[in-house]
Amino acid sequence: MKNTIKVERAIKNLTQEELANKVSVSRQTINAMEANKYVPSTVLALKIARVFNKHAEEIFLLEEND
Amino acid sequence: MSDKLLLPNAYKPIGWGLLIPATIVGLMLILSDFDELGLKMKVFAIFNNELTGPGRWFSVIKTDIVNTIVGILFIVGAMFVGFSKEKKEDEFISKIRLKSLLWAVWVNYVLLILGFLLVYNMAFLNVMMYNMFTVLIIFITRFNYILYKNNKTES
Repeated sequence: MKNTIKVERAIKNLTQEELANKVSVSRQTINAMEANKYVPSTVLALKIARVFNKHAEEIFLLEEND
Repeated sequence: MSDKLLLPNAYKPIGWGLLIPATIVGLMLILSDFDELGLKMKVFAIFNNELTGPGRWFSVIKTDIVNTIVGILFIVGAMFVGFSKEKKEDEFISKIRLKSLLWAVWVNYVLLILGFLLVYNMAFLNVMMYNMFTVLIIFITRFNYILYKNNKTES
């Protein structure tokens, strides 16, 4: 699964730290998701979508091999 | 990982405060070939077996307790360090924690098998002694290494 967190973050002008605080996770978690090293739980994905005022599917996208 | 199985974050510095001195004293003991420091005390033993003579159940014996103290401090310290919450213990950290633990058990038992195959007789006592602590050491090292790696790769 890939995601557009980094792009959305740039649009909203948020740092990793700020986004992390908004969704109550560590900065490492945001970092790992942006690097596609971690697939978030559904709860976290929905929380992130809510911060960006978008649907989860607009931010988290399935890939061929998923 | 269930939060109930983790200690509060405040235990982590306490853990380091126990682990570091215990490691230093432990290494000194190993280097001095377990020369008794002369800290003898009466202790209760469920089972005691001197090199010569029969084993005895439920007896009070007088013995050097430096190993006992250092071993316990090391384990308590390592448990505190390894199993205290991070400042922000979230789902990703829990995942790294569990993966590191699994990794540590794998590596530990591969090393132990090598120990079985390559070390024999009295020397094997050394393998057993180190093996009491290696799971914790490998876990703490691996977990902190992965955390560190994820911390610095902000692009």
